[in-house]
Amino acid sequence: MTLEQLLADTKPALLDIQQRDLTEIEQAKDWQAKYRVLMQLGKKLPAIPEKMKQPELLVKGCESRAWLMHYHDKTTDKHYFVLDSEARIVKGLMAIMLCLVNGMTTAELCQFDLCHKFDQLNLKPYLSQSRGNGLTAMVNRIKHCCG
Amino acid sequence: MPTFDVQQFRQQFAFFQQQPEWVYLDNAATMHKPQAVIDAVTQFYQQYNSNVHRGAHQLSQRATTLFEQARSTVASYINAQHSHEVIFCSGATAALNQIAFGLMHTVLQPGDRILLTQLEHHANIVPWQLHCQRFGVIIDVVPLTPEHQLDMEAYQQLLQLKPKVVSFSHVSNVLGHIQPVADMVTLAKVAGAITVIDGAQGIVHQQPDMQQLDCDFYVFSGHKLYGPTGIGVLYGKTEQLARLTPIFAGGEMIDSVSFINTTFNKLPFRLEAGTPNIAGAIGLSAAIKWLQKYNNQQIVNHKSLLLKEFYNGLTAIKAIDILSSSVHNAGIVALNVDSEHPADVAELLNQQQIAVRSGQHCAMPLFSYLARPGAIRCSFAAYNTLDDVNRCLLALEQAVEILTA
Repeated sequence: MTLEQLLADTKPALLDIQQRDLTEIEQAKDWQAKYRVLMQLGKKLPAIPEKMKQPELLVKGCESRAWLMHYHDKTTDKHYFVLDSEARIVKGLMAIMLCLVNGMTTAELCQFDLCHKFDQLNLKPYLSQSRGNGLTAMVNRIKHCCG
Repeated sequence: MPTFDVQQFRQQFAFFQQQPEWVYLDNAATMHKPQAVIDAVTQFYQQYNSNVHRGAHQLSQRATTLFEQARSTVASYINAQHSHEVIFCSGATAALNQIAFGLMHTVLQPGDRILLTQLEHHANIVPWQLHCQRFGVIIDVVPLTPEHQLDMEAYQQLLQLKPKVVSFSHVSNVLGHIQPVADMVTLAKVAGAITVIDGAQGIVHQQPDMQQLDCDFYVFSGHKLYGPTGIGVLYGKTEQLARLTPIFAGGEMIDSVSFINTTFNKLPFRLEAGTPNIAGAIGLSAAIKWLQKYNNQQIVNHKSLLLKEFYNGLTAIKAIDILSSSVHNAGIVALNVDSEHPADVAELLNQQQIAVRSGQHCAMPLFSYLARPGAIRCSFAAYNTLDDVNRCLLALEQAVEILTA
């Protein structure tokens, strides 16, 4: 498995999530329904193989660990990401985040306001949890890629 | 003696009236405060607020009296021989840091050994590590048995290496197991070691008797005994406290200062630099006085009943991996849902307003031994009810259903 392959597998998964699952989350009739979808999202993204999870890719939450790989296409100035988490709900939330930022240019990434987007999806509470699930740490890591 | 009335007990916690929908099972992290504690702290700020031991006015004298009475209350609760053997600090972590720092050089010399256990909280590992590395002191670790109990045979063997200090928890903060502290102190004493007990989780389970236990140091945090956060106790025998180099200097701990030489105040002030947490000490004292109105054995029995019901319920849920033993347990149950990450389980409980903690609970060496990424921890207090137990079990069932769907 290479970064190229992971990026190639991530792209259609994100498209699928964007087209189907986001509306389902927005329209979920109860929390159980919302979480069932959230947990499926993580499964759609490819897993980063254990031996590729180098320490510098680790994004630490207090309760679970996640990994972020980054590719910057210099000719188009677009940023692409691959991520994984040992917790399924966190991975689902991160998948949503990735849908929103994958393929952005440096300028777009710098200006991107995740809080606002998550608010629209009724997912904002997950960002305010200071360090628990590591989502804020992941946002910061992604933002760091544009700087 | 009337039996323990959990509803009457629970009613004294405004939190449960404000947040009736929550099942709070994160008591090992921090406990809720009864009205008596909130009132004592408020009353101090409203009526007596002054600094202690230094004001030239009656208000300060009044604050000093309340603060020193709080020290006496704690001393008598743990049956310390003297009031000055109770040092107020910010919590168990601060106390352990003071002990580890304070014994280096005065007691511990390069090449000496100390003994810890596999299931300690980081606060009873890292302060030692920090100073032991600098001073060339060697740390040995007591392993666990396959049942996750301390291996007492190994403990005795390690004592033969003549550690100068043995430091262990009264109750494991992850598993809830009550350690055989009395035996451990006795054996350590025979080996000539100074004994340190981390009572962070033990203090609320059992009122410890310092003179009977005969340990050299015992530490705990107020907020895990119905008291405020930011106040804790470092108990030490007079002769052992005298050997501690103060970790903090300045303010009241000084006797006289010149740039040639500084001499220190007597105990307990020598180890209480700066303005202490006066309201915290008064709040902790109020918590103890309030708790003493209840029969501790009845509280222990009540918690045992909750634990029994919880274990019974857990066995009926499929795919639950219980790490804690149900015997000699102070009311803490660490568990996992098979092959699921604890963070997912905890989040699904959170959605159902069940407050638990998940992760490695500041005990990474224990989890590497257990070979698990973490666990969720349900910790019970006297104000928890059978209804709390049942709601948690139902929520766990729901979580398992969603996770395994």
